[in-house]
Amino acid sequence: MANRRCFQTATRYLQSIKSLTAFSQSLPPTSTHALHQSLTTKPSYHIYDNNFNNLYAQSARFTRHFSSRPTDSEDDDDDDDEEDYESGEEEEGELGSEDESANLSAEDKEKDAAEIGYTVIGPLQKSDRVFKPYEPVFAVVQIGSHQFKVSNGDTIYTERLKYCDVNDKLVLNKVLMLGSQTQTVIGRPVLPDASVHAVVEEHALDAKVIIFKKKRRKNYRRKNGHRQELTKLRITDIQGVEKPEKITPLKKEKKENPGKVAVGA
Amino acid sequence: MNKKEVFKLAKGFRGRAKNCIRIARERVEKALQYSYRDRRNKKRDMRSLWIQRINAGTRQHGVNYGNFMHGLMKENIQLNRKVLSEISMHEPYSFKALVDVSRSAFPGNKAAIPLKKEGLAILV
Repeated sequence: MANRRCFQTATRYLQSIKSLTAFSQSLPPTSTHALHQSLTTKPSYHIYDNNFNNLYAQSARFTRHFSSRPTDSEDDDDDDDEEDYESGEEEEGELGSEDESANLSAEDKEKDAAEIGYTVIGPLQKSDRVFKPYEPVFAVVQIGSHQFKVSNGDTIYTERLKYCDVNDKLVLNKVLMLGSQTQTVIGRPVLPDASVHAVVEEHALDAKVIIFKKKRRKNYRRKNGHRQELTKLRITDIQGVEKPEKITPLKKEKKENPGKVAVGA
Repeated sequence: MNKKEVFKLAKGFRGRAKNCIRIARERVEKALQYSYRDRRNKKRDMRSLWIQRINAGTRQHGVNYGNFMHGLMKENIQLNRKVLSEISMHEPYSFKALVDVSRSAFPGNKAAIPLKKEGLAILV
């Protein structure tokens, strides 16, 4: 992540230098009154949802370890971070078909897991015009536990997002802040109406990191390699802020000028 | 080919440590140990750097880092220091908005008037 992130911050710095010069001199007002009331309810609902999932998962895991259940051996292979969801999914999967992997058993639980990772999967894109030219608007987005300050056309490297393939459209729900030339919107903590659209560019592995441990004079030496799984996202759109008006291109003005000169002459 | 790997990792080392295997192996092992330790240190160093940058940005507006973060926590703004430092560098107007929000939530600075008016503060 370190190597790719350095390059990414360098490109973003150059882009932001361009954006600084275009800023107008008027100070932006902050619109926070309406958001505060609506946002106090949302975190409490989210915490309730988490507890419910955890309780269900704990009860499911206790029943799985009994020797009377014949299909325990298939379920022991799944570990990873999202154990809570997969244990609930496996119970339903056993009742249905045995060959399905734990991910595909319940679409609702997939969506819950994706929402807690703060991504929502849209349909696959084919011949959609999603890539717009650069707009001087930024958003602060949270994915998992990492926050990113993104703008149109940026690429970010996040932890590997499950339940999405390459060329999938994502909507990132957890937007903490928006800013443009005329407006700054600060969420407490999240902005409910804002959304950031992104497209999954690739599922890649990070550069190899060598983990070397040694204790001197004790004959202990270990060497391991590690490649972290990443997802590269390209940000396509930011919604929820006033965007600056587009300036008409210069080509039209050039065509008008020779016409005026001819009339004058 | 362990020797080959060692010499590849020993590129740029000083003196015989890049050429002679006995010395190179020692130095390469030390370098790998340092990189393991420093991957953990880097997280601390980066956070310290972000805090320094946020401090510099807020002091331009007459608020110090401690009061600024306290104000943000009171307002339940969960922006982390990495993003706050980026905003303070590249989005000065949005950062001023954040500082104003924090100052209104937790007053306790020099009566909201910075001592030296330089740059952006002249417009205030």
